[in-house]
Amino acid sequence: MESAELQTRIEALEASLKMATAINSEAFYWWCTALMLAIHAGFLAYEMGASRAKNALASGLKNLVAFAFIVPTFFFVGWFIYNAFPTGLTISEAGYGALPWSANMGPNLSDNASGIFWAAFTLFAATTASIMSGSVIERIRISGFTILAIFLGSVVWILGAAWGWHPSGWLTSVLGLHDVGAAGCVHTIAGFFTLGVLINLGARIGRFNADGTVNEINGHNMPMSLIGLMLIVMGFFGFLGGCIIYTGDTWMTIYNTPTTLSAFGFNTLMGVAGGMLGCYLVTRDPFWMMSGALVGVISAAPGLDVYYPPLAFLISFAGGCVIPKLHNVLLTRFKIDDAVGAVAVHGFGGVWGLVACGIFAAGYPNAEGPAVSFLGQVESAAVFMLLGFVPGYGLSYVLKVVGLLRCSEEVEMAGLDLAEVPVKAYPESRIPAFGDGALSPAE
Amino acid sequence: MNASPITVWEGATAYFTFADSPLILSVVLVGAIAACVYAIVSMAQHETASSKKFKAK
Repeated sequence: MESAELQTRIEALEASLKMATAINSEAFYWWCTALMLAIHAGFLAYEMGASRAKNALASGLKNLVAFAFIVPTFFFVGWFIYNAFPTGLTISEAGYGALPWSANMGPNLSDNASGIFWAAFTLFAATTASIMSGSVIERIRISGFTILAIFLGSVVWILGAAWGWHPSGWLTSVLGLHDVGAAGCVHTIAGFFTLGVLINLGARIGRFNADGTVNEINGHNMPMSLIGLMLIVMGFFGFLGGCIIYTGDTWMTIYNTPTTLSAFGFNTLMGVAGGMLGCYLVTRDPFWMMSGALVGVISAAPGLDVYYPPLAFLISFAGGCVIPKLHNVLLTRFKIDDAVGAVAVHGFGGVWGLVACGIFAAGYPNAEGPAVSFLGQVESAAVFMLLGFVPGYGLSYVLKVVGLLRCSEEVEMAGLDLAEVPVKAYPESRIPAFGDGALSPAE
Repeated sequence: MNASPITVWEGATAYFTFADSPLILSVVLVGAIAACVYAIVSMAQHETASSKKFKAK
């Protein structure tokens, strides 16, 4: 074979290999995105089940509306924020390619990456907004919730992701943050944003007695909530798969350090199991046991790429033992009516995950910036807490002032479905509501 | 109306509808944003109206 012909064949092979790599990458994130939809099916079932029957559809509607708004708004501003602000609040060059009128933001034969990464990040965004969703059920106005969800999902968390979940994010390049599974930018931010909202929203009517004691408000369908939680856990395999960069040669973390999907396989499952068992030991409650699976994923998330699997199990186990107690402290001492425990599970679970990574993964080198350290992880956790809490509190305060945050007392008593939703969840059943035969506002 | 920015596929890059027309892209983008804003406003109005209607019963 002549050298010119050989050269042509080698070039053709190289082009073919490059295209195969691009297609593999697109296919991988396509299926991760599809799998992440299970998170939303899960949140839907989980929150409807955790609501009383009189509020079941309004709770579900809230999730559907949030998803439908996050997708376009993340296109309008979210992807730009991620690419524009890794160094802080000054716009980086890459941001211009992510503006909604850029040539990269639509079908483009020279760009196999932008659309598929945008899609995966959009599902991350919708997941982040859904974390708030369960905490506020049964009294929030859907319009107020939608505004909060858009702000959390398409602005706040993605700014945190630019800072701390980006190859050039300043939390990594300056503080050495390591958080491969997004415990900080997704869970901590969403949890503390939710805390800010709950302070302004207030408790459901009947949640607390005059002397401060707590009434149980039981959801109408615990089995549906449990299945929903299991769906969320399943969807997190898509979420965490989407946290890894596929280059064709190897897998990389979001920080451009090498890893393997196997590493994530070991530690995600060990984390899920550790969190479930921890929560089971302290509550004996299947609802908390499945919430514990989330606690486990979140606790192990920052170090999924480096932990020895039994260590991931123990970190998650410890999280599972502590988080339900923290939820009780928020409820009984601070009178925070978090209907599903999202502040504790995601907010404090995320903080624990970040801090644990500083304790147990200190010394690992980063591709850019200092090595992983306890101090760097704690400082980054504080940034995420503030980045979540301040906008959540501020925006919900404004919505409260203009009357868009909370339903009227009459509507809340009767049930949001009756007043706001044109169809019935259980048309052949009598739905108990206050003033309609129920014994107390908590029923 | 010719929506295609390309006449042949060879050498095509960004080929989405109106990719070569910033004015039309801007109009479509603003329209999509307006639809979202309208949906939220409509949602708030529906809630307020149904709450008042419910109280009046």
